[in-house]
Amino acid sequence: MTETEPPTTGQTVSTDSVDAVLDSLDGDDGLDGYNYAYLDEHTKREVRRSILKAIAIPGHQVPYASRPMPLARGWGTGGIQASLSILGPDDTFKVIDQGSDESVNAANIRRLASDTADVETTTDTTDADVIQTRHRIPEEVLTDDQILVLQVPITDALRKVDSSDAANRRRHAHKNYGKMWVHLYENVVEFGEINIAARYPTMVGGRYLMDPSPIPRWDVPKLDDADNLFVFAAGREARIYAVPPHTSVEPLAFEDRTFQVERFPDQSCQACGSTDTYLTEIETDDRDRQYVCNDTSFCLKRQDSEELPKDYHLDREGVDWGPGTPDDEKSATPEATVDSHGGDAE
Amino acid sequence: MRSLGLDPVADTRATFRALCDAMSRPGTIQAVPTDPADHAVVATLVDHEVSLSTADTELREKLASHGRLDDAEPETADIVHTHGVPTWNVADLTRGTLVEPSEGATVIYRVDGLSADADADLDLTTITLSGPGIPDTRSVAVGLPTEELDAITATQSTYPRGVEAIFTAGDRLLAVPRSVSMEVA
Repeated sequence: MTETEPPTTGQTVSTDSVDAVLDSLDGDDGLDGYNYAYLDEHTKREVRRSILKAIAIPGHQVPYASRPMPLARGWGTGGIQASLSILGPDDTFKVIDQGSDESVNAANIRRLASDTADVETTTDTTDADVIQTRHRIPEEVLTDDQILVLQVPITDALRKVDSSDAANRRRHAHKNYGKMWVHLYENVVEFGEINIAARYPTMVGGRYLMDPSPIPRWDVPKLDDADNLFVFAAGREARIYAVPPHTSVEPLAFEDRTFQVERFPDQSCQACGSTDTYLTEIETDDRDRQYVCNDTSFCLKRQDSEELPKDYHLDREGVDWGPGTPDDEKSATPEATVDSHGGDAE
Repeated sequence: MRSLGLDPVADTRATFRALCDAMSRPGTIQAVPTDPADHAVVATLVDHEVSLSTADTELREKLASHGRLDDAEPETADIVHTHGVPTWNVADLTRGTLVEPSEGATVIYRVDGLSADADADLDLTTITLSGPGIPDTRSVAVGLPTEELDAITATQSTYPRGVEAIFTAGDRLLAVPRSVSMEVA
């Protein structure tokens, strides 16, 4: 082939940039032929049946036929399938990725839903009907009108003590969680406390040991006796499980080595000054280390109104919503040790 | 399922959300877009991937014409539908296995009435529910005889093996998942 000949395969694009190509595509043309909410009805029925069974057996992992999605498995495909099966045109949808509404993944999932399911989208937790999230539960108290859909990379809490799925399913069948207790005990022997940073094993309804997805320990108490429904969906592992509202969710711990959330002694958010939110450590350009709120949408509200409580949008006060809310303070430990991050973080 | 008077996308999604609310808040009465609600529930959940047992000829015809009827005996069906008190015994339905309890049946009863006011109607039987989804307890009245409700309670005694019961009347429904305990007054 000489330089002057055009390529024999493919099509030459006579535009200057990728942006120009995208601009030349007209609005919704690319969506013609897609069903409402992207998934076909057959797929939705499958996901919906599994969600209902998951609600009926809190904490049990229900298998479902996870479909190929327009992004690779492991990028939130389980959460997307659950969300798109739940969403309707009267819903407002919010997507967060580790507390942020603005990550590429979150923005694209939000756009897929608004393009195909005709939903309103929002970044305000209190405005959303359905919230899809990766690795966080919002700081603001969720209500009984809301559904939180969590993306799950690893569905089984027992996976860290035994890699055999078949053996673990037998353990769940017989509520045989001895191996996990031994793991926690070995943690105490080695580190002096239970050193699990994320995916903290929790007992749901006194029956099933559940992997709450890689939320920080900070968020685990929010699962207990909440007003909202939690749906956990894993695309790669093709399992769905759920925690209904007002269900007991207890992190595993010993009487003398209690469950501890992350502690940020003497730290506050550099942006809003909060001391009662989950903080993320960031490194600035001049190698300074700073702490900022992980939940960015609540941080923005706190920047406008410093003392805004996490239940400001409810008609009752003092709602227990994990660390930093009134009911939790009685159980908070006064000791302030620096948090060490364990090796189990995602 | 337009032949059943439902929009196959919008109405089944609204019915699913009603089921979602009913299942996660057992004993609350939820509205679905079309009447009768049991047809809407079957149209929302059933296709050829799950087996169905029903004596309702309209449902059987409409599902079969869409290739969505996988007919089964009540004892082996994934989804079982009945008008009022069934001819079969709820204790004989499939309850799943300990390893996969989600294979237990979903039972849809079309009943004479549902009432959130547990003392309203003497023809209805009052049930009191407690467990996941219920702060404290919740009482509701269902148009089924005491014996049938007792039989459902007995079927759930093998938790996590068990069945999900959905009661419908008109365009309303309520659900009693296996996770809750039910006391029949």
